[in-house]
Amino acid sequence: MARLVESTITFPYRRSLGPVVGAFMTALTEMRILGTRSGDAVLVPPMEWDPRTGAELGNDLVEVGPSGTVESWTWVPNPSAQHPLAQPFAFAFIRLDGATTPLLHAVDAGSPNAMSVGARVAPRWRGERVGAITDIVCFVLGESAEIEGTDAGPASEPVTRMDYEASITYRNPVPVSADRVIEASQEHRLLGQKCPVCERVYAGGRGYCPIDAVELGEGHEVDLSDVGTITNFSIVTPVQYPGQTETEPFVRAFVLLDGSDVILSYQPVIELPATDVRVGQRVVAVWASPAEDSDEGGAMGGTYGRLIGWMPNGEPDIDDPDLVNRIF
Amino acid sequence: MTTSTDIAIVGWAHTPLVRHTDQSETQMLLHAITDAITPLGLTRADIDFTCLGSCDYITGQAFSFVSNLDAIGAWPPKRDSHVEMDGAWALYEAWLRLQEGDIEIAVVTGSGRSSTGDPALIYPMEMDPYFLAPLGADPLTFAALQARAVIDAGIATERSMAETAVRARGKGDVDELLGEEYLRTPLRRHDVPPITDGAAAMVIATGDRARQLVERPAYITGMDHRTECHNPSFRALDDSPSVRIAADALGLRNTPVEIAELQTAFTHEELLLRHVLDLGDDVAVNPSGGPLRANPIMASGLCRIGYAADHIFGGGTRALAHSTSGPCLQQNLLCLVEGRS
Repeated sequence: MARLVESTITFPYRRSLGPVVGAFMTALTEMRILGTRSGDAVLVPPMEWDPRTGAELGNDLVEVGPSGTVESWTWVPNPSAQHPLAQPFAFAFIRLDGATTPLLHAVDAGSPNAMSVGARVAPRWRGERVGAITDIVCFVLGESAEIEGTDAGPASEPVTRMDYEASITYRNPVPVSADRVIEASQEHRLLGQKCPVCERVYAGGRGYCPIDAVELGEGHEVDLSDVGTITNFSIVTPVQYPGQTETEPFVRAFVLLDGSDVILSYQPVIELPATDVRVGQRVVAVWASPAEDSDEGGAMGGTYGRLIGWMPNGEPDIDDPDLVNRIF
Repeated sequence: MTTSTDIAIVGWAHTPLVRHTDQSETQMLLHAITDAITPLGLTRADIDFTCLGSCDYITGQAFSFVSNLDAIGAWPPKRDSHVEMDGAWALYEAWLRLQEGDIEIAVVTGSGRSSTGDPALIYPMEMDPYFLAPLGADPLTFAALQARAVIDAGIATERSMAETAVRARGKGDVDELLGEEYLRTPLRRHDVPPITDGAAAMVIATGDRARQLVERPAYITGMDHRTECHNPSFRALDDSPSVRIAADALGLRNTPVEIAELQTAFTHEELLLRHVLDLGDDVAVNPSGGPLRANPIMASGLCRIGYAADHIFGGGTRALAHSTSGPCLQQNLLCLVEGRS
């Protein structure tokens, strides 16, 4: 079995809410639940458009609940990290008093034996409410609403946006050929693979030729030069999004390796101010020494193992106007 | 929608459908495409159009479909498209594209590695972002709520669901299965699909070219897909109006089929669709075992169409295939394939 690499990706979304969902979320901070009229029906959660016909609804909001009746439910014996409760609970369709459609939410019932269709439930409100469906911690059995913690009161202004963040861990197998590239980097070697059909050479150990769709393995390996020429580059001014670790403008360069057609993309340039990087500049690979903590880091998440970037090798620039076109 | 232009499935292939593979999605596609085109005497250079179906959230990598292009041999540049849907929807796009009449052969794929992450954490992100995703509303929960609705409507029982599981997987004892704990009431482990890695590739061609390539093409005589409201709160979960509309659009009522391959990942879904489509006892449902046996996400629907085509290749006259997407059978695609003497 191949080595698995684990990565956790966080998806931080900030959403605008619009007139209907915004009013619903604002009302939640006031511990009120709103539905919207559609003919004789009252839709909960409220929608801007009729779910059956697509017709625009009149934004005619009406208060429902806060108590309601369980219409259907399922027991969750092993809650996930994303679920509203850490202990076993029921997910239920709850028809709030005055509503025509059911709202999905959690019921903290203790045991599946306590759940039944027709059971009456009421919300357990969060003390600190921000204008999100999770301002209702869950529902509880009975007619009495509860507050968890100290009531911090309603939002001071209408709620217009909401944040949602999911964090997911992925485990992906690393192709054997990619591991061999990382292994070679321990000896400061850049390993390539040569397609037996088209004779193109690829770096990074992808394990196949994308032109001829043939697999490449150990028998197709070739050593690549660790000296090359910058063909093109970009100075990136970092935007401070979640996960961004760079704070100062930095360079990502394309390096054409000597003696081959191989271009390494998005390479860091080291020991040279971003403003001094030039097309045609001659560079040599910089390798992390074994003593340095490289955590397979290197350029762009470890594709080339201990390769951490490129620095000028002192040779004069190459003056070739076509060079700038070489980014693949 | 039906078509006056003859367009037919001429071949397909899938990788081994397994709990975990060490291959990347691109590698799986490389093999699936080669295995689909080679028996037809085709090379990648013969393919006029490709459409790939996959999902970045499942892969955990933005623009993952770009690296999947490596599997189609996209040099010199080719006509290509992508759907963030099951490969069945890629087939729909390619089927429309071939109807323009200027090209003859298309390859469509579906691919996914579900083993990389936890579906219970990935799928809530595809739900309503305001009311459902923040609750971590997962596919098992929605399936359980729909199963309860289907049982309450008298369309299924826990026993008939267990019988469905035994038939699909070709193993197990109904009474023993019914003695097991609930995963999510009223669903037990046997009611839910396995986690499967896999990819499938399918070759379709216009009439004359199809007849050159194979003796008995599986003509696509109709394809239709419909969707319902994104939030299951507003839907009748004991029915499938979108399937009804698609079936009527294909004239299914007056067009008997011999087999139906349905992308019913949960046992109650098979019983519900069997009921909605009004399939008689003479119609074999999911002879392949269906998604209950192997459920390669993003390829599962395309596989259904592939198995329906296999029925035609093997001498059958007419088969129905179904694909779905979204919670509680939200979107549904029906595809009718026929053989001709």
